[in-house]
This record gives sequence, structure tokens and C-alpha cells, in this order.
Amino acid sequence: MGRTSIGSRRVRAAAVLGLSGLLAVSVGTLYSMGSADLTVQDRQPLAFSHARHAGQLRIDCLYCHRGAPVSTTAGIPSMKTCMSCHQNVAKDSPEMRALAAYWDSKQPVEWVRLHRLPDFVYFTHERHLQSGLACTKCHGHVEDMSSTPRAASLEMGWCVSCHAAQGVSRDCWTCHK
Amino acid sequence: MELRRRTLLKTAALVAAGSAFSACKPQVHKLVPYLLPDDEIVPGLDVWYASTCQECSAGCGVLVRTMEGRAKKLEGNPAHPVNEGKLCARGQAALQDLYHPDRLRGPLTRDRHTGSFQSVSWEGALEQLTSRLRAAQGRIVMISRPVSATAARVLHEFIGIAGGRLYWYDPEADVPFRIAADRLFGPQGLPYYDIAGADYLLCFGAPFLDHWLSPVSHGVAFGRMRQARASIRGRFVHVEPRLSLTAAAADRWIPVRPGTEGLLALGIGHAILAETPGRAPRDRRGQYHRLFGPVSLATIARQTDIEETVIVQLAKELAAARYPLILGGGSVSCHTNSTPSLMAINSLNGLLGNIGQPGGVKVFERASTPTGSPPALWLTERTVEDLETEFVTGKSSVLLLNDCNPIFGMPPAVPVARLFVHASFVASFGRFLDESSSLADLICGIHHWLEAWGDGVPDIGLPVRTTSLQQPAVRPMYDTRQTGDVLLEIARTLEPSRVPLTSVSELLQSHWSRTTGDVTPASSDTWTHHLQQGGSWDRPARSLPVGNASLAAAPEPPSFMGDEQQFPFQLYPYPSMTMGYGGAHLPWLQELPDTLTTAMWGSWVEINPATATRLGIEQGDIVRLESLAGSLEAPVLFYPGLRPDLLAMPIGQGHKAGTRYERGRGVNPLQLAVAAFDRDSGAFAIAATRVRLERTGRKGRVTLLQQPAVGAADLIHIDSKPG
Repeated sequence: MGRTSIGSRRVRAAAVLGLSGLLAVSVGTLYSMGSADLTVQDRQPLAFSHARHAGQLRIDCLYCHRGAPVSTTAGIPSMKTCMSCHQNVAKDSPEMRALAAYWDSKQPVEWVRLHRLPDFVYFTHERHLQSGLACTKCHGHVEDMSSTPRAASLEMGWCVSCHAAQGVSRDCWTCHK
Repeated sequence: MELRRRTLLKTAALVAAGSAFSACKPQVHKLVPYLLPDDEIVPGLDVWYASTCQECSAGCGVLVRTMEGRAKKLEGNPAHPVNEGKLCARGQAALQDLYHPDRLRGPLTRDRHTGSFQSVSWEGALEQLTSRLRAAQGRIVMISRPVSATAARVLHEFIGIAGGRLYWYDPEADVPFRIAADRLFGPQGLPYYDIAGADYLLCFGAPFLDHWLSPVSHGVAFGRMRQARASIRGRFVHVEPRLSLTAAAADRWIPVRPGTEGLLALGIGHAILAETPGRAPRDRRGQYHRLFGPVSLATIARQTDIEETVIVQLAKELAAARYPLILGGGSVSCHTNSTPSLMAINSLNGLLGNIGQPGGVKVFERASTPTGSPPALWLTERTVEDLETEFVTGKSSVLLLNDCNPIFGMPPAVPVARLFVHASFVASFGRFLDESSSLADLICGIHHWLEAWGDGVPDIGLPVRTTSLQQPAVRPMYDTRQTGDVLLEIARTLEPSRVPLTSVSELLQSHWSRTTGDVTPASSDTWTHHLQQGGSWDRPARSLPVGNASLAAAPEPPSFMGDEQQFPFQLYPYPSMTMGYGGAHLPWLQELPDTLTTAMWGSWVEINPATATRLGIEQGDIVRLESLAGSLEAPVLFYPGLRPDLLAMPIGQGHKAGTRYERGRGVNPLQLAVAAFDRDSGAFAIAATRVRLERTGRKGRVTLLQQPAVGAADLIHIDSKPG
């Protein structure tokens, strides 16, 4: 190995340390966010605000997410549900004009899905609502959020801790049919 | 190795960088709402519809589970009298038919010169078809899969208006059995064999647990025979040259020589009369004595290869049984003496006095059948030659096909493809481009039964008066229509005054609201009630007196095509248990292991292991079979449940055209079949061909789920000495 000056060795050492440090920070950040997804993917095509609709206007969760008390999936509102108000209300903002454009061209808005469980998990909204749980318990105080992030990790440990606290079944077959 | 700090840091950095790469690819899942919400659909909630399966002619009731407008699963309808909640594999596989990637998505026309296809609109298709029908002026031949009730009414009305003849075609219809039953028991449709009430069941050939006529219904009845009664398990003896699934469920398997089942029945009848001369019913005693009297047991034993003592033993057991029942069909119907054999076999029922009795043969009144129109004839292979002459001479001009594939179903020795050449115009209604429809001039893509309306009367006799309803469980996927609607529209164009209603669903509603008010006054509620239930079965069927026809002459020994010296084996083709004649395009059926050999996804030649050892053939060797009609090559599979002088092959594979799953897969044993017919019915005798076998020296492969044990200790030794 040839001789290198102390200066260039220090630069090289700093570069290597800096790079690995940067990588450690980024990997750590990603891990701590609970998934390998990046926040940029959670950006919705239209800036829908739960704070306005659920909070300020006090529209009930079930007005839009009608399936929750009867089905496995809560569902999202059809375009007709949105337009039932927005045909007359707040028509002039750029977002509303974009919504109207979707409706006029008969295209549904393709929302980005935030809450998704893998195929081997059986989760039913109906059961959880029938047992008296409020939507905010798992989805957070959505009525305070102007943009909707993923509220909880939805990982098994998080589910099981609530099942344990509530004293309900933690049998494997309950959720992994 | 010397690990420097620098190297360690570099390596660690690289590893960390590598682990971060997996996070870089964005995984975005979309959530797409409805534009307009559906009244009936809640996402995540299943909706069930009652309908009727149309995968075979049995007409089992099904419950269809749908989610978000898609059919997800079929289950048997527990309330339906035919299948009582059970469903066979072919019914389950109907889902793959509905969602098949190669389904026709609308009408197509085909150029006869170039052979190229082109999509057309329904307006164009109907215009072309109507003008051709007008030009034909009554010279129309229509071949359809067998349908009943409203669909049959529509077909008959259409043929009545357009002019011509209607034929039913179904390779699994067992036409010789229908003719024999018609002659012996009366023209009221198929009789009802009370299997559940029998305590001694003797079956000649009919694979009633495999796929014969209404297998689910028979399976339910067989289960009742064995287990429903506290002290009676019943005894089941099956007579067949090959150990089919049905034979495997029997207490005793009699490996009779092919085509001699009717002779065996004569021997048994003779032995019964010898034991108990007064057994024959008084009113026809002379006839029974004339049929079963002049029989030499020694001759029968020689012809059938069944010991005299066995024949006498069977006769004694039958005579002593309280509820004996005799069935016949299946392999018996594949010979030149089929109809007289089946009549002799079924005459044993009469001899034992079980007609109209519990555990015996009964005839029930079926729900209304079309009146005022000549019944459709069964298209048999022998009829095809006459049809060819008609098309050549111009006596018939237009050929219409509805949901059937005669070019594949009939052996190549039958000139059915020539009908397509000589007809001036051929139109086909179907869901796929198969051997037959791909030769048509106009191919109309039709609905799957899960997308269509209809009703039907079950094929077999039942003690409950049953009409089954069929309703769409999903919206039609493509620009298809149902045959009945198309024909009604054409009939209306030809003669508007005679056709008041425009669609099958209208016909159904009008008929069902009017005539099936057997419990409450007819109203629209009746219609909804029956739709939800899946049909009508609110009252028992009236028992009808059995026909008074005289017994037929005794069956002759079977004839075989091919010299015994040159062709030492008899070919035994049988419809595949898993896919039959019409299921090869469904992967679920292709991958379903054959119940007895566990083989799947191809074709094979079954050979008795003793024969194979004698010829020096190993399992998997590719052999060539040759007959007077042709030759084929396939790998060999050892199967001990086979007479040593037979070579058996399943029918169902060997499609030259069709969807991606069956095209070019396997071989069709029917290409070996030499033209020979059952004299009475005209059905092709597919088991009347002799073949020879040659080793090719090549090794092939049979896809097996598990290797069946075929060591020497597993061979069934067919005793030639009395046991």
C-alpha cells in the first residue's frame, strides 16, 4: 500500500463515515415509519380534507363509508355521493373544478389506498363496529386531519394488543382463516 | 484473512445501501369508487342466486355466490330434488368457463375461402342470418344440445316458423338406453330407478356414480341405499369389462367380455326361471319364458367369460333379494347389439317384479313438455350419412348449431365435417371457437348459463314434479346474447303475428306467473318466490303405468371391426371421468386427477400389467395403437382393473382446435374407431373396434398425482377356476 497524505486519508474517512451514516439514517427512518413505502405515494389525486367534512361539517363516518357496519370492507363513497353535495356547493375552487371534470367525463377518482391488509388476514369492519368500537379508535382522529395519513401500523402486534386489552379472541383461526 | 477497518466500513456501507434498494420501488394500491352506486351490491357482502347448472343434461340446482357482481363459487342447492345440495366437479368448474380468457366476445363471420374471422355487430349478424333462413325456405337442419321446457319451446317454435328439422345431440346422452327405456317403459321420458330403496343392485356397465345421466342424483341415492336404513346396507354388483369408479364402489366386480352384457343378462334370467319358474309376472309369462327360456348357460358362460356357477349364484342372490334392481347403460351402449342388450337387461326388472315397486323401476309424469310440435330426434352417427346426402342434393340447405360440438364428439369415421362443407350456410351459437364452430360461416357468441335466463325439466325421472329455474347471477361480460333471444327476434322478423313475446325472460315470467300457482294464486310473487327457491317442486309426481310393449328378441353376440389375428386387442374408450367430452377447456378439470389412476393433463393407454409384462412394455413407454380406421401414439399406464385383452383410453383430449388449454393436448381415441353401429338406435359402437399395439421404443410421460402401486403383488388375478 502506497503512502497517502494525512489530509486525503481524513477526507476519505470522512466521506465513508458520512455515507454510511446517511444510509443508516435513511434506513432507520424508513423502518420507523412502519412500512417500506414512501410518503410521496400517499398523495391523493384530489386534496380531500377529512377535517373539513368530518370535522367542520360533522358528516358522520358512515355517510360515506357505508359498508362498515354490515360488511368486511368499509368502502369509499361513490362519485354520486360526492356530487350530491358538490353539484351545488363550493364549485369554484380548482379542486372542485377537477372533481367536476372527473364526473363529467364519467371517470371515477382513483384514490390511493392507505389501509390495506395482506391476503392472509381476515379482518371485518362489521364485527368491530358491532362490538361498539368507534372509527377513531383505529383510524385516529380523522376529523382533525386535513390530509389523511395511515393512522396506525395495522401490524399484527398492534391488533393483538387491543384484542388482549379487550379480552377477545386471540386464536389464530379468528383472523387467519 | 486480514480485515481492515476500511474494508469493513466499505462492506457495511454497501450492505446498508443494498437493503435500502428494496424500499425504492413504490407500491401504490388504488381504491376506485363506483360512479353510481349499485342498489344490490355492498362491497364485501356476498349475494346468492339460485340457478340451474347446464354443464351436463342432469340440471342440478345450484346456489351462486357473487361478490361485487362477480360469481365466486357454486354450491349445490339443498332444496333441489335432483342433487339435494351436492354438486359435481364439472359444475364447480363452470366458473372457469364463465371467466375463460378465450370466450367469444360477440358475433364473428368467417370467410370460407381464406378461413379468416371478422367481428360483426349483432345487427349485421341477424340480418345475414335472417336473409339466409328466408332463402333456405324451410330446408333448415338444427342440431342443438338437449334442452327442455322454455328453451325447447323456443327452438320448436323457431323451427316451426323457419321450416326444417331439429335434432338433439349429446355424445353422453346414451341414446341406446333411451330407446330401450322408451320401448320397455313407455315414451314418458327416462324411468326412475329407486336406487335408495334397493337392497340388491346389479348394474351392467352404467357408470352411474361417474357421469351417467344424473350422477349427483345417483350418488345421493346410492349413499341412502348404503347408510339411510338401519339394518340394510344393500349389495351392489357391477358388471363391466373395466374397473370404473362405479365398479370400484361395488361389493363385487364382474369383468365380463365387452358387448356380452346382454347375453349375461339372458343367462341370469334363465337361471332365475330355472330356480323359480313361477317368478315371471303372470300377464307376460309367455314372453319371459320365450326370452329367457331357450338359453344355454354353457354357451353364455363361454361367450361372456363368466363361470356358469357365478351366473347361477348371481341369479340366486337376485331371486332371494327383497328389493332387487337392475341397471344398464354406459359401456353396454357402445356396441352393435346395444339396444337389444339393454332391453334384455331391463327385462330382468320385469322378471323380478319390481316395476312400480319400492326399490324398483318407476315411471313418473314429468312437468309440461312442449305440445303440438313433433319431438326432436336424437342425432346419431348413422343419421349423419343421410344428412350429408340431403345437403349435397340441396334437400337441406342451412345448418344451425346450438351449443354443441359434433365434429369432436363423433368419431372421425363419421363424415359430420362434410355437412359443413356441403351446406350453403352454417351458423353456430356457442361460447368458444371449437372444431365445429370454427367451420361455421357465422359464429354467434352466446351467454354463459350464469349470465342467462332459462328453465328446465330434469333429465331423469323423479318422484317429485320438478321444474328448475335458471337466472343470471352476473351481468353479461361481453357483447353476447342468449340463443333463445336471438331466435325469438328472428322468428318475430319472419312472422311477427306468431311471436308475441320478445325474450326468454319475458316468456319465463309470463309462464311462471300463470301456471305454477300450485300453492297460492298465481301472481308476481309466485315468480319471485320460485326464483329465490330455484324452481318449483311443490308436489309429488304422478306415477304412470308402465308401457305394455312386448319384450324384444334376444340380443345377438357383439360384432367387432378388425381381424382377431391382426388386431389382438379390443379398444375400450370411455368418457374421461374428469372432463368428459366437453370439459377439456377447463384447467380445473384438466388438473383433476383421474380417480382411479391419478393421471391428468394428457392422454394415456391403460394396459393390464400382466399383458404389459408379457409384451415387455414398461410404464411410460410410448406405444402406437392401430386399427382399420387409423392410428395414434400415447404413453402406457399400468391399470390392473382391466381385462387382459383390452386396451382402455379416456375420451376428452386430442382437440385440434379450441382454447389454449386443450388445443393440441393429448390424443382422441375415437380416431381409432371403425364405423359400426347399434342396429336399433344408429348410435356409433365406439367399443366395437379391435386394435394392435406396437412399441415405438420411445419413452413418454404420464402426469400422475401419485405413483399407483403396481408391483406383482397388486395384480388382480382373474380366476379361471370356480372360487
